[in-house]
Amino acid sequence: MYAAELVGVTKRFGPVLANDGIDLAVARGEVHAVVGENGAGKSTLMSILYGLHRPDAGEVRRDGNRIVLRSPTDAIRHGLGMVHQRFRLFPGLTVAENIVIGAEPVRRGRLDRAAANEAVAALSERYGLRADPSALVGGLPVGVRQRVEILRALYRHAEVLILDEPTAVLTPGETDRLFEVLRTVAATGVSILLVTHKLSEVLAVGDRVTVLRQGRVTGRFTASETDADELVNAMIGRSLTPPAPRRARVPEGEPLLEVRDLTVRDADGVARLSGISFAVRPGEIVGLAGVAGSGQRELVDSVTGLRGAVPGVFLAGTPVLAGRDPRVAYVPEDRHGRATAPGMSVAENVLMGAQRDLASRGGLPRAKVRARARDLVDRFSISAASVDVPIGALSGGNAQKAVLARELTRSSQVVVAEEPTQGVDVGVRERVHDLLRTARDEGAAILLQSSELSELRDLADRILVLYEGRVVAEFPGDATETELGRAMVGATG
Amino acid sequence: MSAPAVARRVVASAPVVALAGALLLTTLVMVVVGVDPTLAYPALVRGALFDGNLEYTIAAFVPTLGMALAFALPLRAGEFNLGGDGQLALGGVTAAAVALLAPLPPGVAVVLPLVLGAVAGGVVAVVAAPLSTRLGIPAIVSTLLISAPAVSLASYLVRFPLAEPNTGIAQTPPLPEAAHLPALGGSGYLTIGLPLVAVLTALWLYADGRTVLGYEIRATGQNREFARYGGVRVGRVAALALAGGGAFAGLAGALIVLGPPHRFVDGALTAPGYTFTAVAAVLLAGARPVVVPLTVALLTFLQVGGQGMEREAGVPSQLTQIVQGLIIVIVAVLATLRARRAR
Repeated sequence: MYAAELVGVTKRFGPVLANDGIDLAVARGEVHAVVGENGAGKSTLMSILYGLHRPDAGEVRRDGNRIVLRSPTDAIRHGLGMVHQRFRLFPGLTVAENIVIGAEPVRRGRLDRAAANEAVAALSERYGLRADPSALVGGLPVGVRQRVEILRALYRHAEVLILDEPTAVLTPGETDRLFEVLRTVAATGVSILLVTHKLSEVLAVGDRVTVLRQGRVTGRFTASETDADELVNAMIGRSLTPPAPRRARVPEGEPLLEVRDLTVRDADGVARLSGISFAVRPGEIVGLAGVAGSGQRELVDSVTGLRGAVPGVFLAGTPVLAGRDPRVAYVPEDRHGRATAPGMSVAENVLMGAQRDLASRGGLPRAKVRARARDLVDRFSISAASVDVPIGALSGGNAQKAVLARELTRSSQVVVAEEPTQGVDVGVRERVHDLLRTARDEGAAILLQSSELSELRDLADRILVLYEGRVVAEFPGDATETELGRAMVGATG
Repeated sequence: MSAPAVARRVVASAPVVALAGALLLTTLVMVVVGVDPTLAYPALVRGALFDGNLEYTIAAFVPTLGMALAFALPLRAGEFNLGGDGQLALGGVTAAAVALLAPLPPGVAVVLPLVLGAVAGGVVAVVAAPLSTRLGIPAIVSTLLISAPAVSLASYLVRFPLAEPNTGIAQTPPLPEAAHLPALGGSGYLTIGLPLVAVLTALWLYADGRTVLGYEIRATGQNREFARYGGVRVGRVAALALAGGGAFAGLAGALIVLGPPHRFVDGALTAPGYTFTAVAAVLLAGARPVVVPLTVALLTFLQVGGQGMEREAGVPSQLTQIVQGLIIVIVAVLATLRARRAR
């Protein structure tokens, strides 16, 4: 008997068949990885299991009994828990308060803080998830916040725990600790469903693996008996070509992007960047590593002009222009918040920045806008029903390709890419990397910020490490993850 | 898409469902309070369209459409302009003052008050822009708060400096003949205001869909951070949209004042509730600007017809306000249901 089962689950969104007769069974105490490209149907499937969506056909079973989930509340009652990619915590409340919320210990109508702290401490102890019950969540590092989310699910007696891309926000060290935690939790009999697209993680921590492609199960594996190639085959239906060998070359020419002694303060006067200097030459990719919040956002916003005309940033020798310097192509990390307007059409999204070039006397001919978009959709092999559908309806990978199509055709010599492959599948990742390499070969100066060290190692000629607003180290592109990881947490030498 | 499929989508669309639902519920209310719907509805139609009432309906349609643009244009940039009343009143009083104080040659005597009325409305509205971009006060709040003193200012002007002497009535003297809007029909209620507003509406629809400015306004409204990232000067665009909206409101006020009875009567601009009828019409049209003239026509029809219904069938005209309110509620419920079903 399985702890949780999805049997013949089918879910359709308009014309899109997100899940097509999927069977998935999780045994007690196993770590079960669910992998697949973006748009393969992983999130939909997990949302059905957590009561966020209702299946059009098929059923959910717990311990062999059919259950009907109308909402997450139902799911929690049936012992299901979920840790979302974006945490749902109250930064102004303590760890214990965040954990007991919804099922608080009460004494005389008021929250029994002592009992809450005690319960949380006992829980931390039992599962080996260290977290100070009385600490404010707002001041905790991301890895600990995630632990709080896991503890919250366990506090509500979750016997099946769903984690949606849990490592996307973690440093390599935090990822290792998370995996230890997952093994400990699984050893107590809790079943874990791990949704991810990072194959190394699947092989490192999974017991069994279910691979989805285009809404169907295309492979079921035992982690110890499979390898990355076999999984990739099931995920994308073909093998990956090995990456092009690293070119041994020294970029020449005047720097296209130069940062000289850049200091940036936030509204409270706290320095977010202190005295940063570096240069990116034509034909060079400079990687930017660092734990989230080390100053990456401020640096990128300074280089693109979004922070105004900050002193110390030079593009091809002249100061950066305020607003958005058109000489910089910029692929932002936040796809829905910044890189696109999800409610606008694909055509209108790829238009941004070029609207004045296409206009004649203020008029914007629709035919021209759509023809240009169709051209980009073809050239960058974006799969969209038409250029008139909202870009929010595309899968993450296709939306990302559309953003790259827009930015890389801006005829800008400087390219800033933030987490360019976050949340996209291996196929798109390969494509994005090719596009960046091509831009570099054509003479662009590229600043690549990524929290995936393997990505930096694949692409960058040099890697700068940011820590607390300073460049604390510079490595060649083939630095080891250990070296980089140490520098990222400020461990010098 | 096949013709029946199109028909099905239109029938199931939010405005149609909302209107049908609202009429059904209103009919129920009529039955409950003892009004015969078979008398009331014909009276409503007659009151709006026949017995010479069509002209009044059109006369009410013109400012309502103007006010709808005043709300819809800033809304495209993501700004809620709820200060229509203040912009309308100051636009109207400005137009009246210009017409009264400056003897102007024919032609100019009509055009200048209209233009300055629009400018006045735009100025009142644009105050909200720096409040929002610099101080973070949302336009939905500031426009509404500025509206009340603006209405009072217009009221003061018409009671004292611009008042008709020796009557004690809060109204201006009649405007000079040269400043009257040229009439299109015998009674004078049908003026060039109708074609003027129609042309401006068409211009707005064109600009919204097919110009750089329209694109930048929509991008700002859809996702301000996206527009800023794309190099759009979002503060300026939002200010322009608010000014444009205010100008439409000011123009609507000027059109009322230059039309019959050719004077500014205190309260006459705000009492009919053009502003909020217009807000309702724009919300009913949803995100489809092309539909706005239709929903404005519909709500104006209900409003004017409601007065006919009151006269003829003795049904309180408040019933048509119930229809309007119900429409808004049903639109909101449908939007929520649709969002929930999409999950």
